[in-house]
Amino acid sequence: MVQWLEAPPSDFTPCLHGQQQHLPNSMQSLNDADDHETSSNLIRIHDQIGSHGNGSPNPAATKYLTIGAATIGEVETSIKEQSNYSRKRKVENISNEKVGCGSPAEDGMKDKRVKEDIGGGRGAAQAGNKKEASGDASKENAEPPKTDYIHVRARRGQATDSHSLAERVRRERISERMKYLQELVPGCSNITGKAGILDQIINYVRSLQRQVEFLSMKLTAVNPRLDFNIDNFFNTEINLACNSGVMPMIDMPFEQLDPSYIQFNCLHPTAACCGLDMAVGSSDTVPHRTMSLPASDPETILDSSLSVHGCSPSWNTGLQNLYGVEFHQGRGPAFPFQSLQGDILPHNLEMEM
Amino acid sequence: MQASNTFKKAFLKRMLLGLQLAGFSSKSMTVQERKSAIKLSADVAMACARGSANWSRAIIADLSKQEKNKVLLRSILRKDYERLTRPCHHTWKIPRSKKILKRSFRVCSRRRKGLRAPQGLATSVLARVLVKKRTRVLKRLVPGGESLDGSYLLDETLDYAISLRVQVDLMQRLSKAFEASKVGSHNVCTFQAREDSYADK
Repeated sequence: MVQWLEAPPSDFTPCLHGQQQHLPNSMQSLNDADDHETSSNLIRIHDQIGSHGNGSPNPAATKYLTIGAATIGEVETSIKEQSNYSRKRKVENISNEKVGCGSPAEDGMKDKRVKEDIGGGRGAAQAGNKKEASGDASKENAEPPKTDYIHVRARRGQATDSHSLAERVRRERISERMKYLQELVPGCSNITGKAGILDQIINYVRSLQRQVEFLSMKLTAVNPRLDFNIDNFFNTEINLACNSGVMPMIDMPFEQLDPSYIQFNCLHPTAACCGLDMAVGSSDTVPHRTMSLPASDPETILDSSLSVHGCSPSWNTGLQNLYGVEFHQGRGPAFPFQSLQGDILPHNLEMEM
Repeated sequence: MQASNTFKKAFLKRMLLGLQLAGFSSKSMTVQERKSAIKLSADVAMACARGSANWSRAIIADLSKQEKNKVLLRSILRKDYERLTRPCHHTWKIPRSKKILKRSFRVCSRRRKGLRAPQGLATSVLARVLVKKRTRVLKRLVPGGESLDGSYLLDETLDYAISLRVQVDLMQRLSKAFEASKVGSHNVCTFQAREDSYADK
């Protein structure tokens, strides 16, 4: 696990205060994995990193080790002395050192860990933090607790400045999303390369959009009057609810129907008739009822399926029994959808009787 | 990748509502108008069921640009209309100074040229150009994708593609159901008879 050490610099400062002259020397010595430190903290860090270094000595890894100073403030002064280090790289190395200090057992040199730490409403990315590091050291250390971290380690042999790290994070994210999209789009799994995958994705989305157009055309053709015969919605709805992949038949066997649906559907057969009236647009009172009806939503529509069902023989016996049982009971148990408005129901019952 | 059941249910619910309202609002429509009404209700249902996503807001915003759709939209969505048309701050494009952008672009490209190992410049440049072209096309395809970039664009595409799939599936089932019901003509007769009887009352 990558851990950040968020110790304030004050821990290190007293030790390193008078050591500025020796810093360049110590840096060189660290490069040689030599115990030439001037503070206990430095020794600690160095030991842990030194053990790594012994295991896998390489010029790239020593990039982490080049800075002996543990305080950002110290580093900044030494940065000015040494022209070949960029400011950001220094900060990066410090961070990496701290990381190395916290988890000595890792072979962190070779692999990269990207962790997004979203603790308690934090804000900026680490790259942004790094850019601010040139400011006050204490300010920098006060800020991290409040900001969002993307914990990144530079890979072996790769540049360690914040720009390229941020780019790498961004690229990893994109490739992750590409993988998901590859899974989604059928026939994309054998294609490598961003351009090809994007091509497939574009074709897929386009084809889906065209299908929607075609299907909406089909729906208008099927129902020239736009008065949607509603008894089929029951089936569709049941189908979705049962999460089956099979297209339901109209004369679905009774046992398959979910009992709770049947109950609540039976209760308001008459409310549905208002919906049907609305579709036909017959009387003057219809518009008024139309306004209130939409609030009751498709459960009325679904209910009407049962009222219109009369003819399909396979439904008749079972559902009529239900009618007999449920019709006088008033409202049933939990509805899957929001409940019908109370004022409509008694009115419609009157109408029916 | 599967869409959740709640999404499907909400979608169906809104779609049925939308179809009813669209059907009621005008009895004599041309085929084109009917088709666009159906498509509108399908899209709105999808956007509403999805809730707050960049593409769903974009769909609703695009549709409400036309005045004639606004009323229909409002009646379909009701309280969700306000929620979905509220400007969403985190998707606003951050206004960036062009000068700074140009400078940073120069720095980045210079750095990139220096750091990357030369790997056949022509092919890499070509690949990059292709990818750029296709992301541009994708941005146009996905509603609201113009203001997105990189991984966010891909996120939205993923989401949008899943919802489109559900939409297609649902509409296929609806059309099959209608066709099947049409075949059963006695159903229609019953419906007519009932309708007459209620019209008399």
